[in-house]
Amino acid sequence: MTLNLSEAEMQVLDDLSAKKDLSKTAVLRQALRLYQTIEARLDRGHKLFIEDAAQNDKSELMLL
Amino acid sequence: MNSSGLPIWLTDSASGDSVPAILVGEIGEQQLFDWQHHWRPALEETLARLRASRVPRERWPQTAHWNWDAKMRQIEGLLAFRCFAVMAQGVTQGLMRVDLNHSARLTEQAAKPLVYVEYLEAAPWNRADLATPRYRGVGTALLTAAVDLSFQEEFLGRIGLHSLPQAESFYRDVCGMSDLGQDADYDRLRYFEMTSQQAATFLE
Repeated sequence: MTLNLSEAEMQVLDDLSAKKDLSKTAVLRQALRLYQTIEARLDRGHKLFIEDAAQNDKSELMLL
Repeated sequence: MNSSGLPIWLTDSASGDSVPAILVGEIGEQQLFDWQHHWRPALEETLARLRASRVPRERWPQTAHWNWDAKMRQIEGLLAFRCFAVMAQGVTQGLMRVDLNHSARLTEQAAKPLVYVEYLEAAPWNRADLATPRYRGVGTALLTAAVDLSFQEEFLGRIGLHSLPQAESFYRDVCGMSDLGQDADYDRLRYFEMTSQQAATFLE
């Protein structure tokens, strides 16, 4: 399989790879796991929220 | 680990002898059969004994309500979850479910991915807090599997977990994990984390 990424996408992959101390392959595997987990929860009717405890702010993340 | 599992050793508490065992990278039909037909009756027997002896409820096994059948159904087909079992003498001796979607909290490894141990349970007859365990080393074998998985996934041995009160000393004193204190967002259970250095020491 060949993965075609734009320059911007490749830069994000590089940044995440450095930040998480993972190879690019490992980052993509992590992304896939997380995406699948979130989709499975949303399919069960759950909602995904992002919380900023310092600002006492909580917002729902809409995934299309 | 291949499909037939990894050979490991447990210790027979009565004789002190080493007992051959297998670490399996799944919880399948056999393990769930053993949980249903061996673990649960043994646990019910233990609970009846504790009730009859008027042992305070806080000293009863804190995993008594765990339903491994349901825990497996929850994660069917999901890539982020992995399961392990320890088998000896043809019977399941311990079970573990881990989640690969978590990040570390310790400052030195904050936001780095780790293997989060969601559930780890030894068979009722192997629990030192209930009676003299039949086999020793089940918990250590399962935690070793979590650390090994962490290395395989490029997480460098990092693992984390919330501990039930009865298991805190095992993770702190036996496994050498860092105790980050009670987590207000997780039933006030204490959160423990293992760094890469601690993982290397643990595996020695």
